[in-house]
Amino acid sequence: MKRQLLVGVAFAIATVNLLPLWLVVKQAVTPEGESFAWPPTWVPHEFTLANFGAAADAVPLGQGLALSLSVALATVVSALAIALPAAWLAARREKAGTRLDGVMVVARLFPTIAIAVPLAVIFVRFGLYNDPNGVGLWFAHTLLGLPFAFLILRAAFRGVPTELEDAALLDGASAWSSFLRVSLPLVRPSLGAAAMLVFLVSWDEFAYALLLQVTNRTLPPLLYYLSAFGYPGLSSAVAVLMLLPAVVILLLLEPALRSGVLAGSGR
Amino acid sequence: MRAWLLAVPLLVYLAVFLVYPMGEAVRLAFTDSVSGSFPSLASFRILADDRLFRDALVVNLLLPMVAVALEVVAGLGLALLLAERLPARRLLRAAVLLPFALPEIVFLTILRNVLTPRGYLNGAFAMVGVAPVDLLSPGTASSFVSVAFVDAWRTTPVVFLILLGALAALPAEIGQAARVDGASSWRRFWHVTLPLLRPALVAAILLRGLDALRLFAAPLVLTGVEGVPVLSTYAYHQWSDYGDDGAAAAASVVLALLCLLASAPLLRRRVTA
Repeated sequence: MKRQLLVGVAFAIATVNLLPLWLVVKQAVTPEGESFAWPPTWVPHEFTLANFGAAADAVPLGQGLALSLSVALATVVSALAIALPAAWLAARREKAGTRLDGVMVVARLFPTIAIAVPLAVIFVRFGLYNDPNGVGLWFAHTLLGLPFAFLILRAAFRGVPTELEDAALLDGASAWSSFLRVSLPLVRPSLGAAAMLVFLVSWDEFAYALLLQVTNRTLPPLLYYLSAFGYPGLSSAVAVLMLLPAVVILLLLEPALRSGVLAGSGR
Repeated sequence: MRAWLLAVPLLVYLAVFLVYPMGEAVRLAFTDSVSGSFPSLASFRILADDRLFRDALVVNLLLPMVAVALEVVAGLGLALLLAERLPARRLLRAAVLLPFALPEIVFLTILRNVLTPRGYLNGAFAMVGVAPVDLLSPGTASSFVSVAFVDAWRTTPVVFLILLGALAALPAEIGQAARVDGASSWRRFWHVTLPLLRPALVAAILLRGLDALRLFAAPLVLTGVEGVPVLSTYAYHQWSDYGDDGAAAAASVVLALLCLLASAPLLRRRVTA
C-alpha cells in the first residue's frame, strides 16, 4: 500500500518534469495560432513544420546556427588545449594540483555579468565586440569551459599509473612521446567527455552571448528575442533546434553526469 | 624542462580574460561616466539614488534563500524517494534530471508560456474551475515566488545528485541497526539519515547559494528587467538600455563582492579539507 503510493508519487513527479519538454515540442509543431488558443491545448490539434521556416524568416536563423556551432567547436579546441597540460601537471605534482584547484574555484566564483560588462567594453576597444565570427564570444566561452575541461582531465590523468609513464621513459622514450603515446591514448574517453561537456556549455550559453554580440547572434539570444516579442511557436521551433545536440550529448554523457562533475554549473 | 611551465597557458588565459576584466570593472565603477574623472563615486551615487537598484539588492539577497530552501527540500525528497527500489528507476532518474539537462534558455522560455495569464498553468486551473491569475505581474510577491520556483525546479537536480550520491555512500548497516532496535522510519530518517547527510547538505546549500546569487536569465526571461530585479539584470539594464558603463560596472562590482563574501565558507572548507 505504502509502496504503491511511493511509485505513484514518483511517476507523477516524472510526468510533471517531462511536461516542459513535451510543451516545447508541441508548440514547435502546431500552427502559431494554436499556441495562442484559450484554453491552451495539451496535444497538437494540427501538425505543421511551418514554424521552422517562419522562424528563419523572422530572425537570421541559419547564421545563428552556424555561429553557435562554430563558436562551440572552437571553444572545445581552445579549452581542451589550454586545460590539458595544466591538468596533467595537477595530476602528477600534488602541490601544483592543490594550487591550480584553488585557482579554478576562484575562477568559477565570479558572476558572468561582472565579467561580461567589462569584457564588452574591452572588446569594443579592440574591435571584437559583435564580431561576425564570434571571436570575442569564443574567448568568453573558453573561460567558462576551462574549469570543466580541467577537472575532468585531471581526474583522468590521476587514473593513469605513473609506472606506465616511467616504463616508457626507461625504454628510452622522451617525456613528450611518453605523454603522447602512453598517457594521452589512455585518457581518450575522458577527453571525449570533456569535449562534449564544453561544447554544451558554449552551445547553451546565454548571458555572454547576449552582452557580447548585438546583431551577429547565436541561437540562445535569438530564442530569447522571439519569445520576448511574443512568438511561442517560432521560439519553440528554435528551442527544438537547440535541443537536438543537447539531448544527444547528454545521453552520451549520462555516466559523467551522475558522478557529479556538473555540480555547480548553474550559470 | 620545468614542469610548472605546463600551467602557464591556463594562468595567462585567466589573467587576460578574468583578472584584467575584473580590474577594468573596478576602474569603470570608480570612473565618472559623464566627466571621465577617476577616482569618483558618481556611479555608486547613481545606484544609491535608484529605487530599482535598491530593489535589486534586496531581491538578490532574498531570492537565493527562497530558491535554495525549495531546492534542498525538493532535492532531499527526490533523493530519498529514488533511493528506494522502484520500478523503472533509471527512467525516473532521467526524468528528474531533465529540467537541468535542457538548455537553460529553452526551459525558461517554455516556463514563461506556462506561467503567463493565458498559459498552461492557468489552463489547468480553468479545468478545475479556478479563475486565471497573473503570476508574473511585475513587482508582485507572486512574480518573486515564480522566479524562485522556476530556478529551484531547474536546479533541484544538482542538489538531488549530490544527496543521492551521499545516500548511496551511507553504510547500510546503520539503518538496519536502527531498524532492529525498533526505530520508526521517521525517527530513523530524523536521527540517523539526516545527521549523516549533513556534510552533503551543507555543501549543496553553499554551492547552490553561490549560484543563486548570480541569477540572471530566469528573472530576465520570465519578467524582464524590472519585474523581479536582481543585480545581474540591473547591470545588464544599465549597460544595454542606458549605455552607462560606469553604473553597470558598479552594480557588477557590488555583486562580485557579494559572491566573494558568500564563498568565504566554501573556500575555508576547501582549506581545512
